Amino acid sequence: MKFDVAVIGSGMSGLMASIYLAERGVSTAVVSRGNPICSISSGCIDIAGSGPDTLKAIDSFPGEHPYHKVGKEALLESIEYFQELMSKHGLEYDGDSRKNRSILTPIGKRRVTSLVPFTMKAAETADGDAFHIISFKDIKDFFPSYLTGRFPDAQVSVFDAGTHTTVGIATKMDNDDFLVSFVNWIREQEIARDKIAIPAILGITKTREIHDRLERDTGRTFFEIPTLPPSIPGLRLYRSLRKIAEGKGVSFFSSAEISDFGKERKKILGLTIKKPGRPDYVDAEAFILATGSFVSGGLFSDRNKFSETVFDIPVHSPAGEELFNEDFFKLGHPIEKSGIRVNDRFIPEDSEFENLFAAGSILAHSETMKYGCGHGMAISTGVAAAKHAEEYIR
Amino acid sequence: MRSSFENCIRCTICVEECPAFKANPEYPGPKQAGPDAERFRLDGVETVDKWITLCTQCKRCDYACPYGVDPSKLILKAQIRYVTENGRTLPQVLFANFHYVAVLGSMFSVITNVITSSVLIKRLLRSIGLRSDIPFPRFRFRTLQRFRNQSAVHKPVAAAAKPRKVAFFHGCYLNSNAPDEGRMILAVLEHFGIRVVVPKQICCGLPALGNGDLAKARGFATENSKELAKYVDEGWDIIYSCTSCGRTLIYDYPEILGTDEGNRISENTWNLYEYLLLLRDERRIEFEFKPVKRVISYHIPCHLRGRGVPYPAGDIIRQIPGIELHIQDENCCGFSGSYGFKEKNKHTTDTLGRIAVESLTKANPQAIISDCGSCRMQISNFTDTAVVDPIQVLCEALGIRTSVAGG
Ligand SMILES: Cc1cc2nc3c(=O)[nH]c(=O)nc-3n(C[C@H](O)[C@H](O)[C@H](O)COP(=O)(O)OP(=O)(O)OC[C@H]3O[C@@H](n4cnc5c(N)ncnc54)[C@H](O)[C@@H]3O)c2cc1C
Ligand code: SF4
Ligand code: SF4
Repeated sequence: MKFDVAVIGSGMSGLMASIYLAERGVSTAVVSRGNPICSISSGCIDIAGSGPDTLKAIDSFPGEHPYHKVGKEALLESIEYFQELMSKHGLEYDGDSRKNRSILTPIGKRRVTSLVPFTMKAAETADGDAFHIISFKDIKDFFPSYLTGRFPDAQVSVFDAGTHTTVGIATKMDNDDFLVSFVNWIREQEIARDKIAIPAILGITKTREIHDRLERDTGRTFFEIPTLPPSIPGLRLYRSLRKIAEGKGVSFFSSAEISDFGKERKKILGLTIKKPGRPDYVDAEAFILATGSFVSGGLFSDRNKFSETVFDIPVHSPAGEELFNEDFFKLGHPIEKSGIRVNDRFIPEDSEFENLFAAGSILAHSETMKYGCGHGMAISTGVAAAKHAEEYIR
Repeated sequence: MRSSFENCIRCTICVEECPAFKANPEYPGPKQAGPDAERFRLDGVETVDKWITLCTQCKRCDYACPYGVDPSKLILKAQIRYVTENGRTLPQVLFANFHYVAVLGSMFSVITNVITSSVLIKRLLRSIGLRSDIPFPRFRFRTLQRFRNQSAVHKPVAAAAKPRKVAFFHGCYLNSNAPDEGRMILAVLEHFGIRVVVPKQICCGLPALGNGDLAKARGFATENSKELAKYVDEGWDIIYSCTSCGRTLIYDYPEILGTDEGNRISENTWNLYEYLLLLRDERRIEFEFKPVKRVISYHIPCHLRGRGVPYPAGDIIRQIPGIELHIQDENCCGFSGSYGFKEKNKHTTDTLGRIAVESLTKANPQAIISDCGSCRMQISNFTDTAVVDPIQVLCEALGIRTSVAGG
């Protein structure tokens, strides 16, 4: 099949790129091997740094960081664009992209991020701030005792949902009868606080309804605490973006093992997707590589070599052999610097192609962990690469 | 059935997509049932746990996994082993042999349809672990196979320059339970000037696989492959409309047959709508649709979703003027062929069915469509909205005379 642009990867950067393009009437395909990292993420949008001000943090990032290619204006615009899309879809993201805030993690620590889904709006707690905790019998991936260890004032009420996984409980929450029995149970509890913390299980599809109903019927403020993966807020984020993209006419090729690609001089012509039976072919005028870093499969490494898994573009890497000798679990390990280097138009510098653009955590020097720039970087570089791809095909 | 479980990085991405895990606390999900447990199963000492049979084989986990692990394959292998170790239950035997049930059911359709709705039989069904609270599919005497021996009713109207010829694999459901829809498919193919035959065939083998009987599945596949490979070798394309049969022909035949015939069948088998789109792209046919004013929700069967291509019936139906199409692919209907007939799965099946229908009916559709007969049966248990095969909508838009529900 033939498209104007084929985006490879269905993560934050690829989906945002595809939505941007489809909205402008560009026929767009998304080709991906599997679901992305954002579906197991906390669902919060990290933008930059851990201080109060995101833009200040970016000023301190090294010159090669992809944010400097995006530019601050464009970064703020793209995040606003993301917030608009999500609001229209009914999964509002709260916050100001210039600022950071802190939310609670399931182990009672604080974590810095910038935008949060509306279910976590009330999650910012000052020391000594009082809240009640609602947990679930035998729940996995959420640990109220860690929380009470750090917040000794917090009381815990435990509900028996008849199931012990976050996915199972969230599925039940989407059921009206279950929700009613849950609300009735809360009303019977002795809860001294106005704020209630709850693991992130407020439904998969009816979250808005559930959240508002809980607050209305109990007169309290609720906030979700993200759990370990599987992560419901991440799943909501991924599904929403995908639905938005589908609604705008993006075509999805999934379970897609790209086995080959066609090229003619400086142009990539199309992708071959290996499948049982016959392969599928996706041809396009321009391509956006948004396949993520090592953990997502966009990059691969063995002891001798780093490689990029679709087009075999040379991977920029700051160091050689000594990479493997450093402490691997240290934040800011040099391996995080590796990736695809791009020029100001987000075209990979080390490749021969003129119709290939790259975005997201595959970019060299992004160091998402160290700089706290995960989804924010993916969103802004995704939109930036899409703009350049659109310019190219016009 | 190969799958590289060592690639698993335990990210839990697959777990988020698993319908059985979502609805049933007893089922540990694809990560644990697949790659995690495989490490123990490998050494052969540990026996397989009973919960392994709770997997519906919807394949959503394979679709989600970014690392090519294909948990469902590992699970299917373990399911087969479980049944081998523990013996077959009566329902497993019954459904593994669903082909024969269907053939007999149709042959004596008048009697079967009365029997399956009688109180006594319902009690009997319950006693062997089958559900009696949902209707059994009605068997039809005039099966598609009977029809194949008669002359074509519809004359081709738009014979293309170089006609394509196709052999239609209808599977059990279209043959015995929905032969009218089967005829509509033949009519649409003929409408486009495509030469179509209905080859001799039996069950694709999927129900046997799903009930742990690899040998039986292989037997069915071997039988079918003799006939189908003959057509392929003479330049015919194989067309399917049941997305589970299609998946089995394309994904499973090469492995369970282990012959070159299996590969040739796999390579030359097409989804009906994908095929029509191909011919359109090659400018061999043209779509000329009459307007059909209708709001339609489209339930994507898991086995179509797993193909990982844009949904072809949706792409065609969207082009019919007047249609407002809502695609729903996030939910498994929960039925999964024989799985939903078993009493032990009732809770899982009903929970998932309700979730699927709730999202399908959100747009207040006048009709719900789905390629898979088993999905349609399940969905209609939860809604009064007409649930039909996409071919009915296509027939209406093409002006092929049929009775179309929902209009
Ligand atoms: C566990 C974890 C949790 C995180 N949580 C957060 C968080 O809560 N908030 C935050 O802001 N940031 C978070 N981050 C960082 C953030 O997820 C990423 O920086 C960002 O989302 C990456 O998005 P991406 O679009 O670059 O790619 P990814 O999300 O990595 O997606 C890559 C896509 O490409 C596909 N793909 C890969 N290789 C191929 C191939 N060869 N062929 C075809 N397709 C391919 C994948 O299947 C996938 O669809 C987290 C990171 C990790 C690892
Ligand atoms: S099977 Fe795949 S998706 Fe599931 S946990 Fe393992 S790597 Fe992740
Ligand atoms: S095949 Fe379906 S039911 Fe079975 S483990 Fe995978 S996702 Fe779950």
